Amino acid sequence: MLIQTPAEGLYDELFDKNNRVRPQCRMLEQWLLNSNEELIAEKRREADVLFQRLGITFNVYGEDQGTDRLIPFDLIPRVISASDWHTLQTGLRQRVQALNRFLYDIYHDYDIVKAGVISAEQVFANPQYQPGMQNLKLPRNLYCHIAGIDLIRHNDGNFYVLEDNLRCPSGVSYMLENRRMMMRLFPELFAHSAVAPVEHYPNLLGETLRAASLKPDPTVVLLTPGRFNSAYFEHAFLARQMGIELVEGADLFVAHNKVYMKTTTGPQQVDVIYRRIDDDFLDPLAGNPDSMLGVAGLYAAYRTGNVVLTNAVGNGVADDKSIYPYVPDMIRFYLDEEPILKNVPTWQCRNPKDLRYVLEHLQELVVKEAQGAGGYGMLIGPKASKKELDLFRSLLKARPQDYIAQPTLSLSTCPTFVDEGVAPRHLDLRPFVLSGKKIQMVPGGLTRVALEKGSLVVNSSQGGGTKDTWVLEDGQC
Amino acid sequence: MLSSAASSLFWMARYLERAESQARLLDVSLTMALIDVPEDRIEQLSVPLLVSGTREIFFDYYTEITPQNLINFLLLDSRHPTSVFNIIQSARDNALHVRGNLSSDVWESINQAWLEMRELQHRGVTESNASSVFDWVRERSHLFRGAAYGTLLRNDAFHFLRLGTFIERAETTARVLDIRHVMAMKAEQDHATQVFFEWTAVLHSLAAFEAYQNTYGHNLDAMSVAELLILEPAVPRSLHACLGEIAGLLEQVESGEAQESRRLASSLFANIRFGNRDYIAERGLHNYLVDFLERIQLIANQIQKDYMGWQG
Repeated sequence: MLIQTPAEGLYDELFDKNNRVRPQCRMLEQWLLNSNEELIAEKRREADVLFQRLGITFNVYGEDQGTDRLIPFDLIPRVISASDWHTLQTGLRQRVQALNRFLYDIYHDYDIVKAGVISAEQVFANPQYQPGMQNLKLPRNLYCHIAGIDLIRHNDGNFYVLEDNLRCPSGVSYMLENRRMMMRLFPELFAHSAVAPVEHYPNLLGETLRAASLKPDPTVVLLTPGRFNSAYFEHAFLARQMGIELVEGADLFVAHNKVYMKTTTGPQQVDVIYRRIDDDFLDPLAGNPDSMLGVAGLYAAYRTGNVVLTNAVGNGVADDKSIYPYVPDMIRFYLDEEPILKNVPTWQCRNPKDLRYVLEHLQELVVKEAQGAGGYGMLIGPKASKKELDLFRSLLKARPQDYIAQPTLSLSTCPTFVDEGVAPRHLDLRPFVLSGKKIQMVPGGLTRVALEKGSLVVNSSQGGGTKDTWVLEDGQC
Repeated sequence: MLSSAASSLFWMARYLERAESQARLLDVSLTMALIDVPEDRIEQLSVPLLVSGTREIFFDYYTEITPQNLINFLLLDSRHPTSVFNIIQSARDNALHVRGNLSSDVWESINQAWLEMRELQHRGVTESNASSVFDWVRERSHLFRGAAYGTLLRNDAFHFLRLGTFIERAETTARVLDIRHVMAMKAEQDHATQVFFEWTAVLHSLAAFEAYQNTYGHNLDAMSVAELLILEPAVPRSLHACLGEIAGLLEQVESGEAQESRRLASSLFANIRFGNRDYIAERGLHNYLVDFLERIQLIANQIQKDYMGWQG
């Protein structure tokens, strides 16, 4: 099979800048060259059928309920060398540690604000800041037990953090299923290379969730919004893998500030809730009164310390795009270390000087809502029409504090099966970082790939696909 | 286990059992309509509508009972809950809710059934390929049962699932026997030759034809058929076999205070176990079955009250 070489000026995960195959990817290249198109087409069909049968589908908001779609799965793995992973792992550990320290601080002592590193307004006036979390003692002072950190590789070859997800990061089931699929379809590839395993993730997650409580043998449940949620498959998958109950709000109730689940033998107390529901929907008495997803009285039970929520309430303030520019400073402030992972330079439109720059250079920049997620409500300057540019210009002027801007990054590319053969497509990486008694992660993470030529949007809701992610243990593949 | 999960497992199994029995019934009725004298065809075709209690709904959508209309209505129609299409979809919805309690094999067997059912609905089914579709429904049901027996932990999830199967099965046997026996009695007066086919239809509808041949030989008579389908413990769809399972399962389910469903099930089981054909004959088969249906309904309600009643 013919492999299209990448465009000039981009970092490619398979080819170096002289279009030579990177040493760790030689075996992969051989495999690609030796595979004929028919075989690959057949394997792709097989993968589709398997995913469909497993029910690994997701719902797209705004489409008819019950229209299940598959997230496209690309058969060519994305390879990360052992040394790159080592750097990433150390950097991620450092970053998540600092973010947890930050969350503790802004709900207790406010040291970082007092020291003038970040303004009081930006923390306390942030809509995601939850005053109700102030002075609440959480086991091990942990707020973010499960973090998903989005990274991209720039054309300088370095990884940059694009976004921290400290609320309900999803996608880990795709990481696990993609690996299972690859091993099933191409066992021969694994026989000849030392791909670091990821299959133990549910064990580590279970360990992390149990460590979230100080009880010796806590009862842990996973709280899902239910069957119609786009990530329901993942919730059921993780609950099953960990052997814990998958519950909906209606399965729980609160009495005397304790949370119970309704079982066939009567009420059973719950100690840890791995919740996949947003803060606002957790408790109709405390948040959105119309929420049918939550449990009345849950927040009071949480405040009393009778139940642990993972992740904690009020984490949104730390993964907000307007707080993001301060993460390197947090690392310096709390850990007294230099940040290992780089941040993308960010203009905060709340500052008049930054706003002026952004308005002048709108065509070169990516503008994002400070509170947006899922690739909705963003502008990619170089690809935007005049109408879109005008729209964002007026939005920026009207509500500058709601937006940030970043340079258009050249996300790295990786060969991907597309209609016209094998061609480079842009991708990112989301490793999952677990904080319990210690910080743990499995090598790699979820690689998302933009399937449209030239597209930089990798979100599955916007037509992105996924790949298996290989961290090589001995540097060769 | 979670009450809501117990409920979903119970209903998932009920729906799958229902899909299978509806396919059998429909298959037998279409065949019988070909054998029967023309003026009785409509009556034959009505049986599955009577058993599922959908005769009135049928006439909301169709004007005439024809084989093709019946196939469309009971197999494919998504406008009312009793089509095999919607029954399988309901089973799949329930399975999705308890995805965490199911093995991958069980989940995949149900999900695959649903995907293929959608395909079938899209392509349509005619009189000429209907039989193969009925075979397919039966095969999917066997596959589900095999996956469940072969891969599920023997815990309460398994017990509630099987409770669903046997409650549904007991109800179906009683209903089919009740409706079909009336037709057989009528045939006895009008066309004597028809009687054999009528009783054959009862047995085929409940997958018990071979069992009958084994037990009684070729002489088909009303009381023997009734005896086989009610009192014979070795016949998988007999009321005796179903109640034996239900009473046994309720003994195994971990239970707090709830004892009432156990009491009801054991009492009905004892009734059948120590019953005999003379008692049934004396009582009248129809009365006997009506009484049975009332009691099995009570047991089903009590199970939901005892173990799944939180939502009330």
